[in-house]
Amino acid sequence: MNQHRTKIMLGVALILSLLGSFGQTSISPYYFQIIMYIGINIILASSLNLINGYAGQFSLGHAGFMALGAYGAAVITRAMEVGPGDSISIVVFPFALAFGGVVAATAGLLVGIPSLRLRGDYLAITTLGFGEIIRVVIQNFEFLGGARGFTGIPKLSNFFWVFAVVAIVIFVVANLIHSSYGKGFLALRDDEIAAQAMGIHTTKYKVVAFVTGAFFAGIAGGLYAHFVSYINPSQFSFIKSIEIVVMVIVGGMGSAVGVVLAAIVLTILPEALRGIAEYRMVIYSLLLVVIMISRPQGLFGKGFNLKKISGVFSKPKVTPTG
Amino acid sequence: MNILELNTCCMKFGGLTAVSDLSVAVGATELLGMIGPNGAGKTTVFNMITGVYQPTTGEVMFNGENISGRKPYQIAACGIARTFQNIRLFPSLTVFENIQVSLNKNLKHGFSDSILQLKNFHDEEREIRDKVMEILEIFDLKEESNLPAASLPYGDQRRVEIMRALATGPKLLLLDEPAAGMNPTEKVELMALIKSIKERFNIAILLIEHDMKVVMGICERIFVLDYGVKIAEGSADEIRKNPKVIEAYLGETA
Repeated sequence: MNQHRTKIMLGVALILSLLGSFGQTSISPYYFQIIMYIGINIILASSLNLINGYAGQFSLGHAGFMALGAYGAAVITRAMEVGPGDSISIVVFPFALAFGGVVAATAGLLVGIPSLRLRGDYLAITTLGFGEIIRVVIQNFEFLGGARGFTGIPKLSNFFWVFAVVAIVIFVVANLIHSSYGKGFLALRDDEIAAQAMGIHTTKYKVVAFVTGAFFAGIAGGLYAHFVSYINPSQFSFIKSIEIVVMVIVGGMGSAVGVVLAAIVLTILPEALRGIAEYRMVIYSLLLVVIMISRPQGLFGKGFNLKKISGVFSKPKVTPTG
Repeated sequence: MNILELNTCCMKFGGLTAVSDLSVAVGATELLGMIGPNGAGKTTVFNMITGVYQPTTGEVMFNGENISGRKPYQIAACGIARTFQNIRLFPSLTVFENIQVSLNKNLKHGFSDSILQLKNFHDEEREIRDKVMEILEIFDLKEESNLPAASLPYGDQRRVEIMRALATGPKLLLLDEPAAGMNPTEKVELMALIKSIKERFNIAILLIEHDMKVVMGICERIFVLDYGVKIAEGSADEIRKNPKVIEAYLGETA
């Protein structure tokens, strides 16, 4: 097997996203917007998948980290006064995104250390509460626009930035999970007590998963803020967290491919259903119910086997008798 | 030289004393058995040694160091490995990955190396793969290496669990009822396996077991726990004849 396979794939993905950014003006703004949301949702879902799916720590606070990244990045670009046309934005924007990511990761660390002693539902509720705290704090910061929101954020996000980060987050998560070091996350998810008995520092692993996930959620927030150019705290309510969790669960906890596909499908679906107006959310919700009943482990979750599916189309093997 | 010494260890849960004033020592290459009726506190002793519980009083000395109060992962790093009464494999991981996790504590590369994957990373990954395959070969589980642990038959799961514990490179191995749920043939195989592990790896083993044939058959020395108190200690023959042990298992003679 080629050692540099993942790196080559990352390189190709980065070049493709750069090429794609030249074509972004040729499609209608509506479709372009959906494509951008798809990219941002893939980043959010993949980063949450590291926490919920791989490390098995059920977090419901992802929108909180996204908010921190969005506001963090927006503060930087406002302070630097860069516009979409300025050539300096090539330097300032990634810095602003990284800054937003670091703010979110720091929050992830601060929240993670005390709350990761909790398990299951308790952790879920704690992270939910934490996400809401972030939102309410931002709402009361006049400096950040309060409930009126943060306006005039330069439209710096384009196809390249969003899909470059998509490529990076997939690369990072895949490399982590397939390394010996990363097997610690999976061991932690499968059986925490056994993992400890095998010498895995489980608390450290939880914090690492939380901080890494929060970092990318922050970057996704920064990309989002610089795409819509106006953000307000209500965009980052726990509904948004749930939306991301749904993508992870529908895709299949701990399935990188499944989560990416779920992020794509669940972003397109509400838009595709716009034609039937008021029944849109009913159908959307019904589909979720049907998926969960028929495949509780998610579309690409445990038990999904490409060979099995292709086997359906091939001739059944004749087993010798007697 | 004793590898493990418990010095007057007590374990109290509120008003309940699960283990009281237990002093016991395990020699560096000894195979010591621990028996006792249900609820005698045997697994609690394991949990005290491995740091799941912290002894209320007393100390756990391992290799001359006081390890009581350390976290389970730190104790595992010192060289104590264990199996569990009800198997605790990582069910969704493959047999290979279950063993791979045990080698995690000695990894040189960490978070950022695993993402960047430079030259040294691949060298170490290759070393780990070879090591895992070597262990799988010893235990004759090479063919099952890519199967999810949960899909293996019960006896094999037990073997993988023992193998996973050994892969951490312990000086002391704690086996919690390894023969539970096994049929007579599997039990015979297990006895041979435990003996061969002791010879091949030259380590100390502390064994909890209900099956007297297994315990009496392989243990050099046995101690008996009843209601958290050590009531007897000695060779298999001595234990078999000890009136206190008979009383604990069969009740008082009329």
